[in-house]
Amino acid sequence: MTTAALIEILVKVILLLGGVMTAAAYFVLLERRMAAWVQDRVGPNRVGIPLTRIRIFGLGQPLADGVKFIMKEEYTPAHVDKRMYVLAPIVILVAALTVFAVIPFGSVLPVDLGIEGLSEPIRLVVAPGMDVAVFVIFGLSSIAVYGVILGGWASNNKYSFLGALRSSAQLIAYELPLGLGILGVVVAAGSLDLEAIISAQATSGWWFILAQPLGCVVFVVAAFAEAARLPFDLPECEQELIGGYHTEYSGIKLLLFLVAEFLHMITAAFLIVILFLGGWHFWGLTGAGEQVGLVQAVLRVMVLSGKVFLVILLFMLIRWSWPRFRFDQLMALAWKVMLPLGLVNLVSVAILDQLRTAWQLDAWWSNPLLIAANWGICLLAWIVVAYAQPLIADNRPQQELELYDVDPQV
Amino acid sequence: MYLSGAAHIGQAVAGLWPELAGGGGLSAVAGSGLLAALPDWRVLVQSPTTWGLVCGAVALVLMLPRGSAVARVLGGVVGLVALGLLAAGQPLLSDWLAQGLFWILAGVTVLSAAAAVAMRSAVYAAVWFAMSLLGTGSLFLLQGASFLGVATVVVYAGAIVVTFLFVIMLAQPEGHATYDRLTWGWYAKPVSVLAAALMVAVLTTALPGIRQIDALAALGESGAVERSAGVLHPSHMARFGAELFSRELVSVEVAGTLLLVALVGAIAIMIQGRRQAQAEESAR
Repeated sequence: MTTAALIEILVKVILLLGGVMTAAAYFVLLERRMAAWVQDRVGPNRVGIPLTRIRIFGLGQPLADGVKFIMKEEYTPAHVDKRMYVLAPIVILVAALTVFAVIPFGSVLPVDLGIEGLSEPIRLVVAPGMDVAVFVIFGLSSIAVYGVILGGWASNNKYSFLGALRSSAQLIAYELPLGLGILGVVVAAGSLDLEAIISAQATSGWWFILAQPLGCVVFVVAAFAEAARLPFDLPECEQELIGGYHTEYSGIKLLLFLVAEFLHMITAAFLIVILFLGGWHFWGLTGAGEQVGLVQAVLRVMVLSGKVFLVILLFMLIRWSWPRFRFDQLMALAWKVMLPLGLVNLVSVAILDQLRTAWQLDAWWSNPLLIAANWGICLLAWIVVAYAQPLIADNRPQQELELYDVDPQV
Repeated sequence: MYLSGAAHIGQAVAGLWPELAGGGGLSAVAGSGLLAALPDWRVLVQSPTTWGLVCGAVALVLMLPRGSAVARVLGGVVGLVALGLLAAGQPLLSDWLAQGLFWILAGVTVLSAAAAVAMRSAVYAAVWFAMSLLGTGSLFLLQGASFLGVATVVVYAGAIVVTFLFVIMLAQPEGHATYDRLTWGWYAKPVSVLAAALMVAVLTTALPGIRQIDALAALGESGAVERSAGVLHPSHMARFGAELFSRELVSVEVAGTLLLVALVGAIAIMIQGRRQAQAEESAR
C-alpha cells in the first residue's frame, strides 16, 4: 500500500467522522425541535453565537450541550465495577463508528489530483470493494450489544440491569428479521457489497422498495428495533427504567452512550436508503453508470444525503406518534409476525429470481410482471398473518391472572 | 487418515528445518509415522519457538486464578518472555504497515487469550475471550479472508460469547464464583496447559514455510496467483456460496438439522417445565 493511498483513506475517515459526529449533534437539536413542534412548545431556540445576542434559531445548542456534558461533574458511583463501567461506553461508540467504514456516502468522485498511487476515480467509501460489507455491519451491530450488557451489569443497579437484559433480548430477537430483510435484497442484487447493491437498483431503475415491499417493511421495523428507537425503546424507556442501562452514567460517558444511539439511527437510515430506496440513484437525475461528470457525482452525494435526512425525519416523527410496545408484544411482533413475513419475502424473491433466469425473461414487461407477482404474494402473506395475529389495541395484560400468584391487595 | 496426517506433518517439519532434510535424515522417513517425523533434538533445542512454547506453558500455569499474587506477576513476566521468543522465530515482512498491523493484532489476540484463562471473574474472562476472537477475526481480514474474519466475529463474538455473558450475569450477578474454578485435582491444570502447549506446537510445525522467508518468496509467485483466484477474487463471496451449497451441501444440511434438533429440544424442555408447574399448581 502506497503512502498516497493511506493518506486518501485517512482523509476519508476524518471527513466521515467529522461529518457524522456533527450530523449527530445537529440531529439531536432537530429531534428536540420536532418534539417541541409535536407537543406544541417552542423548543430550544435561544443559543446562538456565544458572547453576542444573535440567536440563529438555536443553532448553537449542540455546541452548548457538548460543553455542558464535558464540563459536568463526572460522577462514578462507589458500587460499580470500575473497569467495565469505563469500557462499556467506549465499546458501544467504537462499534457504532466503525460501521461507517463500509457504508458508501456517495458514488465516485471523478477528479484526477495527479498524485501517483491514488485510485482514480476516488470511491466515496472508506473501505471500497468490501465484498462482505453487509456482513460487517451485522457483526459490528452485534458487538454493540456488549456495550449495553456491560454497562447495565457494571452499574450494579436493578434498573440498569433490567434495561440491559431487555436490550439484549430485543437486539438478538430482531437480528433475525433484520437479516431476512437484507437477504431478500442480497438475493436480488447478487452481492453483499453495498455499492453493488446500489448499482443494481440504479441500472434496473426499480428500487427494492418497489420490488420487495414486504422485505422493506420487515427491515424497517427491525432497524427501528435495532436502533432502540420508539416504539422499541424498551432498553431505556425513560418513564419506567429512568434511562435503563445508562442510569448510573453521567458526564462524558453518558454523552458517548447518547451519541452511539444517534449513530445507530443514522446507520439504520443509511441502510434503509441504500438497501431499499436506491442509494444515490434518482430517475433522470443521477444516471446509473460508473462514468460520471463532476456535477452528477455531487448530485449523487446530495441525493443520498437528502434521502437519509428524510428517513431520519420519519424516525423522529414516529417517535412522537407511536406508544411503546409492551415486552410480550415486542417479542410476539418479532417471532410471530416479522419472522414469517421475512421468510415469505425471501422465498418469493428467490423463486421469482430463479423463474426469471429459467424462462429467460428479459422483455420490457418482465420486470413489472415479476414485481406484480411479488406484490400479490406479499399481500396474501400479509392478510394471512393479519388473521393469525390480529392487532390487539387493548394494552392490558391478556393472560388469565389465576395462573400467577397475584396478591389480592394489589 | 492418521497416516496422511503424519505424512503432512512430516513434510511440514521438513520444510521448517531444511538443514535436517538436507542431511537426508528426515526426507527418507517422512510419512512413515509421527514419531519418525519429529525433527532432531539439536534443531529443536536451538529453535526459539520451542522455548517460547515451554515458557508460555509455564507462564499459563503460574497465571491461573487461585494462585498467589507473586506467582501471577511472575507468570506475566515469563509470558512476556515467551511472546518475545515466539516473535523472534517469525520472519519480517517487507511492508512496514502490514508488519505493524500483524504484530499489534497478533499481540492483542495472544495476550487477551491468556487473560481469558487467567481472569478470576467469569465476566472478565468472557470479555477477554471476545477480545481475542476480535483479534483472530482481524488477523483473518489481514490475510484477505474477509468472509472468515467477519464470520468469526458474528458467530463467536456476536452470538456465542454474548450468550455466555448473559448466562454468567444471570447466574452470578457479582461475577465471582468459587465453584466455577474447582477442578478434579491438582493434576488437571498442568495437564490441560500441557495439552494446549502441545497442540500449539503441532499446529506451528504443521504450517509449512511459516518461518522461511526464502520459501515464502518462492511461494510468492504461485501463492499470489492462487490467492487472486481464491480469497482475493472480486466475487469471492459468490464462489464461496456456490462451493458451500454444492460440494458441502450435506454438511450444511446436517449442521442445520443439528441446530433444529437443539431448538426442538429446548422447546420440549420448556413445555415439560410448564406442565410440571401446572401440575403442582393444581395439586396445591
